[in-house]
Amino acid sequence: MISDNAKKQIDHWIEKYPQGKQSSAVMEALKIVQAENDNQLTHDSIQAVADYLNMPGIAAAEVATFYENYNHKPVGKHIIRFCHNISCMLNGADDLIAHLETKLGVKTGEVTKDGLISVKKVECLGACVGAPMFQINDKYYENLTADKIDDIVDGLQ
Amino acid sequence: MNEVCFKNLDKDQCWSLETYEASGGYSTWRKILKGEYTPDQIINELKASGLRGRGGAGFPTGLKWSFMPRNAQGQKYIVCNSDEGEPGTCKDRDILRFNPHAVIEGMAIGSFVMNATVGYNYIRGEFIEPFNRFEGALKEAYSAGLLGKNINDTDVSFDLHAHLGAGAYICGEETALLESIEGKKGQPRFKPPFPANVGLFGRPTTINNTESFASVPDIMINGGQWFADLGVENSGGTKLFSVSGHVNNPANFEVSMGMPFSELLELAGGMRNGAKLKAVIPGGSSTPVLTAEAAMGMTMDYDGIDKAGSMLGAGSVIVMDDSTCMVEALTRLAHFYYDESCGQCTPCREGTGWLYRVLKRIMDGKGKADDIELLLGVQEKIMGNTICALGDAAAMPVESFLRNFREEFEYYIEHKKSMVKG
Amino acid sequence: MADIKIEIDGQIVNAKAGETLIAITDREGISVPRFCYHKKLSTSASCRMCLVDIEGVPKPQTSCSTPVSDGMKIHTQNEKAKASQKAVMEFLLINHPLDCPICDQGGECELQDVAVEYGSDVSRFSEGKRVVAASDIGPLIQTDMTRCIHCTRCVRFGSEIAGMMEMGGTGRGEDLKIEPFLAEGITSELSGNMIDVCPVGALTSKPFRYELRSWQMVSNESIARHDLTGSNVYAQTYKGQVKRIVSGDNEAVNETWISDRDRFSYEGLTHENRLLTPQIKVEGQWKEVEWNVALDFAIKGLSNTVLNNRKAHKLGGLASSTTTTEELYLMQKLLREIGCENLDHRLNVNNLDEAIHLESNLKLQALEQVDHALIIGANLRLEQPMINHRLRKAQLSGANITALNVKEFDYNYALNHVSVAPNEIATILAGVLKIVLEKKSIELPEYLSAISPSSSSVELAKDLLNAERPVILLGEHIINNKQAASIAQLIAEIAKQVGANTLNLSISANALGAQHVNFVPNSVGMNVNEMFKAEMRAFLLLDVYPEYDFHHANSAIEALSKEDVFVVSLNSFNNDLVAQYSDVLLPMAAMYETSGSQININHDIQSFTAMVKAPDEAKPAWKVLKVLADLLELPGFHYENSTQILEEFEHQPAHEHSQETAIDLSQQSTAIETVWMHNCYHSDALLRHAKSLSMSTLGQVNSASMNANTAKELALSDGDEYLGVPVDITETVADLCVFVNSNQATNIRSMS
Ligand SMILES: Cc1cc2nc3c(=O)[nH]c(=O)nc-3n(C[C@H](O)[C@H](O)[C@H](O)COP(=O)(O)O)c2cc1C
Ligand code: SF4
Ligand code: FES
Repeated sequence: MISDNAKKQIDHWIEKYPQGKQSSAVMEALKIVQAENDNQLTHDSIQAVADYLNMPGIAAAEVATFYENYNHKPVGKHIIRFCHNISCMLNGADDLIAHLETKLGVKTGEVTKDGLISVKKVECLGACVGAPMFQINDKYYENLTADKIDDIVDGLQ
Repeated sequence: MNEVCFKNLDKDQCWSLETYEASGGYSTWRKILKGEYTPDQIINELKASGLRGRGGAGFPTGLKWSFMPRNAQGQKYIVCNSDEGEPGTCKDRDILRFNPHAVIEGMAIGSFVMNATVGYNYIRGEFIEPFNRFEGALKEAYSAGLLGKNINDTDVSFDLHAHLGAGAYICGEETALLESIEGKKGQPRFKPPFPANVGLFGRPTTINNTESFASVPDIMINGGQWFADLGVENSGGTKLFSVSGHVNNPANFEVSMGMPFSELLELAGGMRNGAKLKAVIPGGSSTPVLTAEAAMGMTMDYDGIDKAGSMLGAGSVIVMDDSTCMVEALTRLAHFYYDESCGQCTPCREGTGWLYRVLKRIMDGKGKADDIELLLGVQEKIMGNTICALGDAAAMPVESFLRNFREEFEYYIEHKKSMVKG
Repeated sequence: MADIKIEIDGQIVNAKAGETLIAITDREGISVPRFCYHKKLSTSASCRMCLVDIEGVPKPQTSCSTPVSDGMKIHTQNEKAKASQKAVMEFLLINHPLDCPICDQGGECELQDVAVEYGSDVSRFSEGKRVVAASDIGPLIQTDMTRCIHCTRCVRFGSEIAGMMEMGGTGRGEDLKIEPFLAEGITSELSGNMIDVCPVGALTSKPFRYELRSWQMVSNESIARHDLTGSNVYAQTYKGQVKRIVSGDNEAVNETWISDRDRFSYEGLTHENRLLTPQIKVEGQWKEVEWNVALDFAIKGLSNTVLNNRKAHKLGGLASSTTTTEELYLMQKLLREIGCENLDHRLNVNNLDEAIHLESNLKLQALEQVDHALIIGANLRLEQPMINHRLRKAQLSGANITALNVKEFDYNYALNHVSVAPNEIATILAGVLKIVLEKKSIELPEYLSAISPSSSSVELAKDLLNAERPVILLGEHIINNKQAASIAQLIAEIAKQVGANTLNLSISANALGAQHVNFVPNSVGMNVNEMFKAEMRAFLLLDVYPEYDFHHANSAIEALSKEDVFVVSLNSFNNDLVAQYSDVLLPMAAMYETSGSQININHDIQSFTAMVKAPDEAKPAWKVLKVLADLLELPGFHYENSTQILEEFEHQPAHEHSQETAIDLSQQSTAIETVWMHNCYHSDALLRHAKSLSMSTLGQVNSASMNANTAKELALSDGDEYLGVPVDITETVADLCVFVNSNQATNIRSMS
């Protein structure tokens, strides 16, 4: 269930914490396993992580459902996380989200038909002085305009 | 401007160890390694500096460091709070990106004061670029022999790790943050006991904000008094203000405490399109909103903002012009707290949703005449009754928006549309 | 902790510095509302219901998490405190369905109780209540999570008491949902306590569902008798039926918890197999008759076979040890009065020459205090849940626990598992004894001369010698070990040398009661196994079910079924086999239907009264035995109630069993040995008829576990059956042995 490569990455995180506190690595372990499984966590993968870290399955499930960055439904290869909190809102985020939805033909929370892109509305991403902004996978894109969004999204493959 | 956390901002590769050391970086840490400081000396400098916690609560850092049971047996921890999730706040991200070594050195100095040999920097999960910068800096510091066990054969040890979050504003609350490092849901702990006695993994722990730590090295280089003099009474030093919203040049500004708001607004390029200032949230979404008038008369320091009727918080200045619908703005904030409540305690779990739903209903044109009283009643019932301050943070905007802009809410309820946007 | 004084609502109260406020108000009888607080669970301070005003503190504080200090002035009722409490109540009610009339918790709901006092105008909430999808967590607990108030008592119960975190809170904020992760739901042997700790109707008893409103029932203290704890319970009855069992409170026994076995066994009381009327077999045909007819028939049968011709030595009396001490006392008195010494309750012992004699000399509360425990041959968690709970507490406070078992079971605390085959145990213990004696420079007995201690022995000895308060627990799996007596004797010797206490958990339910009243043959009598080899003419059986109760089931059945053997069965349940060999069936009252007592592992005689009348014609066995004695014109049976029986035996010294068994280590079998245990929910007649328990995950366990090598030796593979039980190949079992945990009767017992 967990690849050797994933185990190696998880082990790197385990090392940061005191002996016997390996469950501290659960947040990263879930992300690592998610990344290897189409950006999604399943019941079994959560259990596998729990087993690997020697913690109860429900404890890993609590973590997997508490934090935003785990997906429990199919998502795109690229996830666009569009901030719609106050600073971005003041700078026109709502219109830009509508623009993006039209461009991709999906609503927020959905995945494009080709499975390439999904869009999520999220709370403040801590880049308010660059509003409006979104995050695609690991990267922030700030001071967005409709044109800029078109360029960025067109470049996704 | 840019005298402490941002002092190297204009330099090439300002985040590198080389740049940092060239401006005196790690000099304090090296002195500590040579045995030239006692913990008390450091605490005294910090007390003199007037540095107050930059995470939002403004608790004096020197005092906090003096509480640590330094001589307690066993492992102790030092933890940096880089969870930065409060709407309007984005300064710690830039510190991590542009001056990570100051955070490392600040934490190292702290670890020496507390006699804590292990530290964690909790970085919010979305901050991958800042995380990589910080990891890079850690690597540099380790290879330079500045971190590790028995550094330079001294009896000083300090191991520092970065821990990544996974998306939850509540993890910025210090005890939720500790739970999160322990691999659990970020649910705040009740206090007492306080982290200083029972913190990470049940051990004594000191937690500070990124900016607080990053300010420490320069305080030590130039002296507490120097830092205090940069600011005003009760608010020592410079402070990073994240100015966002309807301004021409939104950015992070490191300026002296006590700067009039009007000057800060000018630094940020003034109002966008020459529009009229309507309202300002001076310290991040949890702090009460101010009218233009109140804001224009205030100075940017703890007492100044307090006098104007709000709080300095994390220094996150959200500027709104007269095109802003306050009902919409508050609804957005209410949604935030509703979304981010950890769900553990009753008033916050149930109350934030209630507040949001009533506001949403008003926005949907289904407001009722007594909704304003209802909102005020609900926020009052949350206030002060929760485990952590998120409950208060959710309540305060509601109270202040309704107090300062009540007519907009009444209009919306009555006319089923925005007074501003139509 | 220093003695201090604080002021609560203007009243000066003594306290200890650092005590939590709620502990003090509870002690003083000052009522502070609460939902998340539970005295046996960790503090979560999350419901916020217990907010009070403390002078000098700006925000209201939760009583459950606030440590008090000298001079503190607390107001639990002033405007500020009341405002906070009301606010919390209002928040709790906005998403709570107001469906009290159809809720099983109605009438005993903590939320309902407090709401009556605090909930004022909840009508202000008009945004639509939250509905939480139902989840099935097994046959024992009914969930209705829409009613959940997120107090997390059940979650904390799981991780802190049950020792297995099965319930958790998933999601965040308003979406926080209390649920299990695993598809099979909740599997802990203590799971039903979640029902008791849940303050609202989110978790209720599934078997009890929709039965009744709590206030319609009468609640009485009783004792559950499925294991050696004798947990104190409340039996709740309605119109002559036990409707529900909830936990009682007794720190010395079960604290405030009970096992699922004790909670749900009552379901068996109404099983269709209950024996309801006296019956006699006339020319091979069963006939329902009046009691006097049946008793006359029994007397006549006994007279014809054994009494009239001075053949009392051809009569055997056998009893299940789940019966009451009074019943056992009367039965032995009756038998001895008519000159019969053939009596036994040790039905499941293969070889009574190897019977285990070992004292239990540590009380349950003291068990929590041990710093080392050595468990030998037991899956404590399932066999003695409350004893295991005490040991778990010891482990959590630092005790080091080792289990010497044929299988690595699922323990709910950290322990060192030492894997052994049954035939290695005596040798390992002999090694331990040798090391201990050598260490103390005590001369070695002859039987230890040839022993060279293994590394396991060295480890075990080291732990025992290092411990200050060690205990050795001998479990059920040893009963039929070929060297059982020697093992027990070795344990006694080791314990004496290292200053350890011992607990003999190889016996079940009320075996201590049976021992107390000497329900074993004296030197001229026959034990159970001897009876089946002898030419018996009659048997008197007390709640005996041969296919489950006897080790030598086949020879038992054969002996009982002989044409010329007259069998009187006092039974609470009927079945084909019982009907086949019996000549008279006398329906007896089952648990909760009779008064009496049990002697638990603390050696406490715990008495109880009848909660309900036995169904139809069934009668308490002590009454039946008394009438039988009267009909036989025996003297000394003038009892009017069971208390008089208790008074008669209570002060009799417990019968001394010969403690010294010669230790014999020579018998070394090399055959593959089988340890056969009943599934924990099939260990007595009432349990076997409790349907919901049988349906639960634990109740379904039915497997013969062995490792791959043993399977090869036995030419078995997955999917095969071993003596009628499905084979489960797992490396958790020691080599060359089989661990059977079965919910069915077996043949092996008579074959080996
Ligand atoms: C809901 C909530 C969110 C918070 N978020 C942050 C945060 O993102 N960063 C931070 O430094 N402090 C945050 N705080 C404040 C911390 O709890 C804590 O006071 C701070 O980290 C202490 O550091 P300081 O003394 O250096 O300010 C938050 C508090 C609350 C109640
Ligand atoms: S106030 Fe909200 S965020 Fe804080 S502990 Fe309570 S539920 Fe969690
Ligand atoms: S009982 Fe104190 S907060 Fe729940």
